[in-house]
Amino acid sequence: MAVKFFGQFLIEQGAISHSSLLKAISLQEETNRKIGAVVFEMEMMSQVEIAKVHQSQRNADTRFGDKAVEMGFLTQEQLQQALVRQRNSHIYIGEALVKVGALIKKDLERYLLKFKEDQKPYAVEKVEIPKSISNQEIWEMVADLTKKMLVRVADMSFRPGPCQIIDNLPSRTMVAEIGFSGSVSARYLLTTSQDSRNIIARAILQEDDIEHESIAILDDSVMEFINIVCGNIAAKAAQSGFHIDISPPITHQQSDRGIAVPEKHTGLMFPIYLSDGEVFELAIFIKNDPL
Amino acid sequence: MKKVIIVDDSIAVARQLEKIINSCDDFNVVAQGRNGAEAIKLYHQENPDIVCMDMNMPVMDGLSALRSLCMTWPDVNVVMITSLGGVGDKYSEAIKLGARDVIGKPFEAESVIKTLQKIA
Repeated sequence: MAVKFFGQFLIEQGAISHSSLLKAISLQEETNRKIGAVVFEMEMMSQVEIAKVHQSQRNADTRFGDKAVEMGFLTQEQLQQALVRQRNSHIYIGEALVKVGALIKKDLERYLLKFKEDQKPYAVEKVEIPKSISNQEIWEMVADLTKKMLVRVADMSFRPGPCQIIDNLPSRTMVAEIGFSGSVSARYLLTTSQDSRNIIARAILQEDDIEHESIAILDDSVMEFINIVCGNIAAKAAQSGFHIDISPPITHQQSDRGIAVPEKHTGLMFPIYLSDGEVFELAIFIKNDPL
Repeated sequence: MKKVIIVDDSIAVARQLEKIINSCDDFNVVAQGRNGAEAIKLYHQENPDIVCMDMNMPVMDGLSALRSLCMTWPDVNVVMITSLGGVGDKYSEAIKLGARDVIGKPFEAESVIKTLQKIA
């Protein structure tokens, strides 16, 4: 049992082959366009304007459409038209598998029910912080904003797992860390697998080919990514009356033992599952309130 | 051509910023530093027209270095760079200390060049 994507689940069940899943994913990628591509196709925005919206999304927790309206590139009516077109043309992986002939509709419905049952323990509708932790709204926001920035800045597709209380953060390729002080005292840590580090580095360096980049540059990109995320966290916390100062980012290299949660701290971990089966984590080591 | 120094602990950010600045014929990046203490040393060595400096750095942070630069060289042109785009008090503090402008990270090439042209 683990968090899975539907395609992965179907392969494990022997319902489809790996090659038919790849075919269905290609169909999905051709069909499901991002809102930026939709507004370009509808001749509502130019590529330069789209790039400007993407850039400014990195500094704010705002969706593409809302940001484009705010920047005066789209009207609300245009945005609604584009969202309707995007929604109407969207297909899920199950439908794509039926379209490429890998699965019949009746079996799709049966497997969907089975998949939902299998994944029930891992379903995460919203970030749930254990009740015993104080300043819940801050930690919910930290987890929520990190996931949003992984999508918006790094263009990453993933499934979030439920929050867990931990004593030790598992060993990964690299861990980037920033300290929080002020209204709260905590350590913000993002572990990375090789894949997730590469995805983040491509986004931060704004380069598709990162093969020639040194490990130092790849690590530095992840540090810069968490710097951007934590800058946004501090800004959002300030809107709610919390003052958070952030320290410069540091890295921890892979060690067999991982990273232990220090004494008088509570460790929260939010697993993040990539479609290829890799996993990485956001963790927050929160200093406990004095008794 | 105006001389610029970049001070940022992130090599990736400094490299990107250098690429943007050097793409404009008006400016030339002459040196890079990784913290506030290096900013002061480099300013003394290079006597640049503009310093582009990150706020959040180890050893000596950007605001402390800005304070020190402005006290020693009151005419210094410092543009602060920060990921804390929405945090008003940091912006105000930088301007009060003498920064000529503040750029949010990650930056747009166009706005970086416009900012530098405005103060150069």
